[in-house]
Amino acid sequence: MNDDPEQLDRHVDDLLHDRKPERTPLSDEDALRARQTAAMLRAAKPGAGLPSKEFLERMQGSIGGWVGEQSARPQPAARPSRRSLLLTGAAGIAAGVAAAVGVERLVPKAVAPGPAQALVEKGAWKPVKALADLPQGTPVAFRSGAIEGFLIRQGDEVKGLSAVCTHMGCILNFSKFRNQFECPCHGATFEITGRPTDQYDTPLPRLPLLQVRIERGQVEVYSV
Amino acid sequence: MREGKTSGAAVSRANLVSLPHADPPHGQDHLTWAYQTHVTAIYQYIYSRVGNRPDAEDLTAQVFMKAISGMRNDVSVPELRSWLYRVAQTTLADHWREYYAEGAGELDEDVTRPPAPRENPEAVHRVDALLATLPESYRRVLELRFLRGYSVRETAQELSLSEANVKVLQFRALNRAGRERGRMS
Repeated sequence: MNDDPEQLDRHVDDLLHDRKPERTPLSDEDALRARQTAAMLRAAKPGAGLPSKEFLERMQGSIGGWVGEQSARPQPAARPSRRSLLLTGAAGIAAGVAAAVGVERLVPKAVAPGPAQALVEKGAWKPVKALADLPQGTPVAFRSGAIEGFLIRQGDEVKGLSAVCTHMGCILNFSKFRNQFECPCHGATFEITGRPTDQYDTPLPRLPLLQVRIERGQVEVYSV
Repeated sequence: MREGKTSGAAVSRANLVSLPHADPPHGQDHLTWAYQTHVTAIYQYIYSRVGNRPDAEDLTAQVFMKAISGMRNDVSVPELRSWLYRVAQTTLADHWREYYAEGAGELDEDVTRPPAPRENPEAVHRVDALLATLPESYRRVLELRFLRGYSVRETAQELSLSEANVKVLQFRALNRAGRERGRMS
C-alpha cells in the first residue's frame, strides 16, 4: 500500500497520544524512515520518554523473578562472589557505580555510606580538563572512559563527584540557580557536596567521590 | 548541560520509586540490582526509537527477559551493560521488521549505532541538527506537532492552512527529514 498523509498522520497522532500505532504494511523505505523520524521527534519533546513509576516498579518485580529462574538453572561457570560481580574490570562505570551503591543499600550496615570509597580499581589516570578552564565553585560535567562525573574547583583544589544518581542510575544535571544536583528521572536532589537532600522518604546514598589529581595544570581522574 | 528543566522541589515525593529493601536472602540479589539499575536507560533508548509508551514498555520488558535468560550469572557490570544494549538493538530491529512486514527490509542505521551513555541530551541535539536541515515550513510543522504537541487543528490555525494541508505538509516534512536523517547517519 502506498503511504499517504492521512495514514502517516494517524501514526503521528498515536505517537503523540502515547498509543501503540496500528500495524501498517509499508510500501517503501521512505515510509519506514518517516515513522522512525517521527519516533525520534516524539522522544525529543521535553518530559517525553521517561518510564512511569508503575512500569519501573513492575519491572523491578519481574527482573527479580527472571534472575531467580535463571539462577536456578545449572551454570557452566562457577558462581562468583558479590565482590567479583561489582569489581570485575570497570567497577567505576556509570552503571557500576549505581549497582555498587545498590549493594551498599542491600547491606546497609556493612558499608558505611561515607566518602572516598575507591570506585575504580585497575584503572588509569586520565586527563579530563585544564585546571585553568574550571570556574571556582561551579561543578563542570565531564565524561572520561566509563566515568561520568562533575569536577568542582575550590581554590587550587579539585574534587570529583560521580554524576550517576544513586536512586536509579540516571545522569544528574547541576542547577546553578538552586545550587544542587538534580535528577531528570524522578527528581532526587543532592547538595553540591554530594549529600542527598532530605526531601524524600526514601533515604539515598550520597554521590560517590572520584579520585582526582592535578598534573602540570591538567586535572586527571582515575578512570577505566 | 540543560538546567532548570526539573525542579527538584517541584517533583512530588510520590515520584520517587521505592527500592527493594535490605536483607538479601539469595545470592542473585546483587545481579537483580545490576539489571534494575539499567531499566531507565534502556527504556529511554527504546522510547527514542519507537516514540510511544506501550511499545517502549513491551520492548523494554522483552529486552530484559531475553537478556537475563541468555546471560550467565557471573557477568560483570560492564559486560551486562553492553549485553543489554546489544539485546535492545536486535529487539528493535525485529520490532521494525515485524511491524512493517511488507516494508523495507533494511534496518535503520541508528539501530546498529553504539548507544551513548547520555542518550537523552544527545537525542535533543540530533533533533535540533535534523530540523536545521529542513526548509522553514517543514521545520515549523514538525516543531508545532511534535515539540509543542499541537493538534492538527491547532497547527492549521497557527499556520493559516486547512487541516488537509497540514497533513500534507507534515507528510512531506517527515519524509524529507527521514531522508536527511539517512544522509546524516
